[in-house]
Amino acid sequence: MKKTRSLWTLGLAAILLVIILPLAIFWPKNAEAADNPWDNVPRHPTHVSHADIIEGEFATGQDVTRACLECHPDAGSEMMVTTHFTWESKEFDVPWRDEPVTIGKANQINNFCIGTQGNERTCMTCHVGYGLDDKDTYEFNNPENVDCLACHADTSTYAKSNFGNPAKGIDLLAAARSVRAPTRDNCGKCHFDGGGGNGVKHGDLDESLYFPADNLDVHMGKLDFLCTDCHRTEEHVVKGRMIADNYTIDPAEQVACTDCHAQKPHEDERVNLHTDAVACQTCHIPEIATKDPTKVSWDWSTAGDDRGDDHFTYLKIKGSFVYERNYRPEYLWFNGNNSYRYLLGDKIDPLKPTYINLPAGSINDPNAKIFPFKLHVAKQPYDTANNYLLQPRTSGENGFWTTFDWLSALTLGSQDTGLEFSGQYGFAETWMYWPTTHMVQPAEYALQCDACHSDNGRLDWEALGYPGDPIEWGGR
Amino acid sequence: MKTSIKLFLLGALVLALAVGIGTAIAKENSAPAEAASPIHPTFALLDADGKHVLESGQPISTMQTCGQCHDADYIVSHSYHADLGLSDYKETDDSWNTSNGLFGKFDPIANRYLSQKNDSLLDLTTPDWLMTFGWRVPGGGPAVNSRSGQPLVSLKPSAENPEASAYDAASDSYQAWDWKKSGVIEMNCFLCHTANPNNDVRVEVIAKGEFGWANTATLLGSGIVLRTTTEWVYNEKAFDADGELLADYVQLQEPTNGNCASCHGEIHEETTPLTLDACDATQTQTATTGQVVSSQKISESGINLADKANKPYAWDVHAERALKCTDCHYSLNNPSHALDEKAANPDHLTYDPRKLEIGEYLEKPNHNFTRGASAQFTVAPELKATMRRCESCHDTQAAHAGWLPYNERHMQVVACESCHIPQMYAPAYASVDWTAIRLDGSAKTECRGITGTNTITDLVSGYQPVLMQRDNLDGTTSLAPYNLVTTFFWTYDDADGNARPVRRADLEAAYLASGAYAADVLSAFDADADGQLSDAELALDTDAKQALIAGKLEALGLKNVKIYGQVQPYSINHNVAEGSYATNECATCHDENSRVTEPLPLTDNAPLGVTPEFVSDTNVSFTGSIENRDGALVYLPANEKDNIYIFGHNRITWIDWFGALAFVGTIFGVGGHGTMRYLAARKHKKGHTETRRVYMYESYERFWHWLQVVAIVMLLLTGLVIHRPDMFGAFSFRNVVIVHNVLAALLAINAALSLFWHLVSGEIRQYIPHPRGFIEDAITQGLFYIKGIFKHEKHPFDKTKDGKLNPLQKVTYFGLLNVLLPLQGLTGILMWLVQKVPAIQTTLGGLPFLAPFHTLTAWLFAAFIVGHVYLTTTAGPKPLDGIQAMVTGWEDMEVHEYSDQRTVISDQ
Repeated sequence: MKKTRSLWTLGLAAILLVIILPLAIFWPKNAEAADNPWDNVPRHPTHVSHADIIEGEFATGQDVTRACLECHPDAGSEMMVTTHFTWESKEFDVPWRDEPVTIGKANQINNFCIGTQGNERTCMTCHVGYGLDDKDTYEFNNPENVDCLACHADTSTYAKSNFGNPAKGIDLLAAARSVRAPTRDNCGKCHFDGGGGNGVKHGDLDESLYFPADNLDVHMGKLDFLCTDCHRTEEHVVKGRMIADNYTIDPAEQVACTDCHAQKPHEDERVNLHTDAVACQTCHIPEIATKDPTKVSWDWSTAGDDRGDDHFTYLKIKGSFVYERNYRPEYLWFNGNNSYRYLLGDKIDPLKPTYINLPAGSINDPNAKIFPFKLHVAKQPYDTANNYLLQPRTSGENGFWTTFDWLSALTLGSQDTGLEFSGQYGFAETWMYWPTTHMVQPAEYALQCDACHSDNGRLDWEALGYPGDPIEWGGR
Repeated sequence: MKTSIKLFLLGALVLALAVGIGTAIAKENSAPAEAASPIHPTFALLDADGKHVLESGQPISTMQTCGQCHDADYIVSHSYHADLGLSDYKETDDSWNTSNGLFGKFDPIANRYLSQKNDSLLDLTTPDWLMTFGWRVPGGGPAVNSRSGQPLVSLKPSAENPEASAYDAASDSYQAWDWKKSGVIEMNCFLCHTANPNNDVRVEVIAKGEFGWANTATLLGSGIVLRTTTEWVYNEKAFDADGELLADYVQLQEPTNGNCASCHGEIHEETTPLTLDACDATQTQTATTGQVVSSQKISESGINLADKANKPYAWDVHAERALKCTDCHYSLNNPSHALDEKAANPDHLTYDPRKLEIGEYLEKPNHNFTRGASAQFTVAPELKATMRRCESCHDTQAAHAGWLPYNERHMQVVACESCHIPQMYAPAYASVDWTAIRLDGSAKTECRGITGTNTITDLVSGYQPVLMQRDNLDGTTSLAPYNLVTTFFWTYDDADGNARPVRRADLEAAYLASGAYAADVLSAFDADADGQLSDAELALDTDAKQALIAGKLEALGLKNVKIYGQVQPYSINHNVAEGSYATNECATCHDENSRVTEPLPLTDNAPLGVTPEFVSDTNVSFTGSIENRDGALVYLPANEKDNIYIFGHNRITWIDWFGALAFVGTIFGVGGHGTMRYLAARKHKKGHTETRRVYMYESYERFWHWLQVVAIVMLLLTGLVIHRPDMFGAFSFRNVVIVHNVLAALLAINAALSLFWHLVSGEIRQYIPHPRGFIEDAITQGLFYIKGIFKHEKHPFDKTKDGKLNPLQKVTYFGLLNVLLPLQGLTGILMWLVQKVPAIQTTLGGLPFLAPFHTLTAWLFAAFIVGHVYLTTTAGPKPLDGIQAMVTGWEDMEVHEYSDQRTVISDQ
């Protein structure tokens, strides 16, 4: 009997096999995407609440840091080598200088608030350290100067003020007890307001990203990403480098879409072909500053006037601006580096726009792809005798924001930077390119063929080096 | 010192480099100057006499000017855009349509028609027709030549001749028209070949009857010609010393979408949010179908469209993919498109190199453009379906691979548009009712897809086109999407007894009196007595109103006035949605409520007693019916009349009733029999039955039997889901279809192998009834089931391994295996084969016959299974003995004295 039973169970198995096997073969196969971006998104462990751990009374920020270092002894030394703390890049050899140079907010200029030297009181509000009043004398190697709270405290309990010190009235104990992994708020405090206000510097990073709608940024909106989901951090080194404050960037230090997404993730092979020459951002970020406008032009030469302030058009201390919403990026070949970065003392031709930075790449550069940029155009002071840009003292003591006198502001500024000032100044146009890589739209809002391949497409093929629209004349 | 000089030099070098690159890139920001035609040479502008226009001041003659290099005569004679039906013009007593094109074919939306020579009442003379429809006339054809082919300028002005007279409002009469004075409209090259033709001024000039200046007016704004209050002046600065146009003024190009849009409908290429007027007759294609050609995402348009935010896809995917109108509607002899037309080559050549050279083409470009097979455009029928269709560019096999079962069958039956244009998002005409007119003389129109009239402030919902069967030129048919526009208008018999539409002028005379509704009209129509007539009130929905208007028209001298209604289908081929937004749910069609039979409202308020007729000159088959729902008309498609059977939607009621009855009847039958057996068994307390264990079924027999059981049961169940998806919504229709097909194949293979085994082993003999004594035996067995079994009698025939079947079983299996199973299999295979051999659809009754037949046999199978399973319980002393035997092979048999001694006796 046992034998018969085993036989008919075997038979049953055989029948099922005979049925299931062909069904499995003919079962409709959904073309599932081979890659799953979620596989690469980090999981966040629940952070240990420090509410019951941290004891004591803190008089200064440094007191807090000392408490942190008791349990996290390496945190200080890790932080001290990061650009978040040094505000200066590593050394680069650039072709137009004999000596290696460093680039950063500490020692170079941009075309927003121009430069930090002498203006530390306000600029250092965003420095992740305490008490930086002069880069030449500051103790960059004292771990207690690191401001742990800037990135780790609940932003509702903590704020920074002059020279990066805690703002008056902050309950440092409450702030210290609130620490956890950085959130959007911590990063946004400085990065959303870079350049002196919401959406000034980046068009793709502004306060709209605190509570973004689904369509504003697919990662932070629809998928509720944190900054650190992409800007992964090891030993306090945050991945991702800003080209504006560098010369070249090691791709390993950069955040890339392909960290999570496949190199050719599209269903349509024609679209995949694009990825050899077109950066993901180019199609997937059709416009930036889609909610809050971004500053595209800043004319310092009109500053000091009593015509009346308006946040979006004119401020006496800063001059006139143009803000744009739904900014359509400029497109350049870009290999991730700068071909030029203005260094203090570089000569300029005041009749032509001076590049504060110029992205590197060309149609002949196999590593370059067409990439979207925000172009910020400024008019800023320069030395008409020496033909170089000047960094004024603005917010610093007796700076322009106090005196509204360019001559004295530039004189003081030249003392701060050590750059000789002839006493004669004018205003010259400067251009600065900001790669746009946030505010990625949901796929259905990505650019479609006709956005570029049509009579009124957004790419200037000839300027990019093509003989004509590559849909007709072939790609590179 | 030395270092600093070096440094300076280096710095200067770098600076120079940087600035150099800078200026190169800086250029990108400056707007490029309006580019002149990069290829087209400069030329002189000539008038009709071949004189330079700078000298003569006369209108530009395109024939003379362009004819300097291009073969203008060839172009005009090879252009249905120029011809517009002139070559088909035929005077006819019994129809108001005199040609197949705009020139002569009555347009009931505009309600104007071209008067024939002998018409006693004139509507549009040729000059009137041009002034009315000239905005749609690109010139040449009837704008240059008379109906008999003479140049219009050779016609003698005559108030009697409908070709050489025009209506004069001042005198309310027809006056002689001097073509020499007005000029004619030569084919307007500029309208389609310049970047910014001034269509508004062209239309304005034509409407004023200044035909000769129409083409010149098209250039207003180009800087070549200027207009003073009284005359046209050429700009000398636009010409060089030789009188040739300066290169900057030569703005000639191949036609862009914008050029086509001048006459054909809404084409939006700008980034500004798209808006449009609902049912704007000047946007012909958009007004009649809702088609909008734009790459803009629907969600970003300015139209107040329902659920707009969830439509982040382009109005027209081909526009988004950078296609132009001319990519599909190209010139028939354009070598860049015609080259790969394999079909145009002789059979033995895959490529014929003897094509036009580009220069030859430019001299004689055929201006007959490839076209589709639309229902509404009947001009130049010989050129229908000359354009590439979807499948000329798209590989439908590859595109639908992996998810669409019966891909080929779908392609045979359904036009791509039916799924890929699931919805129209712009409003379109539903009906135009000229039986009653508004105070401004316009018709009462209904617009579908919008509640109200303003697409920006009123809610636009769009509409779903109706699917109708199109007769393709190659003899096949396809279900394709259409809009149906219903028109109503009065007709009358003229003095010669010829029926003609009532002219708008006569309508106005009947309805209006000195700018207001006539008193009798007002009192008859003004239901709410507010002194005004709304569209709702403007309905001839009672006999009294119809009689009033008919009487008033007849008082004007019109005889036998009647209301005529017609339904015109408008093909929808543009507005293809991006693939992922196409219809892709099986249930859209394969369900009780099928997209294919979705009714389309025709009008909310039809004139009483008028059922509109479908126009007869289309390639669309009107197999559905028009239903009158309280004055509103609805078109109800009837796909089964188109020889289409849609699984899950179509079914034949009596077959399902009959089948269900057979199935349920069998259940009741065996249930009753079983109950009686149970009661009988209780009554006849039976003693111990002597049994012995017999090895009845070989392992292979059991294997094929149970495999068949699983296959048949699953086939019945999946078949039921396919038949009634509305009852089994939980299942994926697509997957169930695949399971059904795979199992059917499995069943067929299993049956074939088992037949082979039965033949080889000789077991087949068991199934063959022996004629001798068979009937008696069958009766004996039947009596056993009817009587003996209740009396606990022994089985009349012993079951043995070599004789398992009793006589009734034999005859049942004989029928089952020779009739039912083959029919079921054959119909199933044929249904599957329809996709591979379309001839089955036309010769063997096709799916409309095969599918219901398959359903019927399936019901019978289901009924058989019930009986079969029940009868197994009668096999042995205990009800489950039979089933147990089929599982283990061993059966407990009653010991009969006549028992067959060859059976193997069990050890037990």
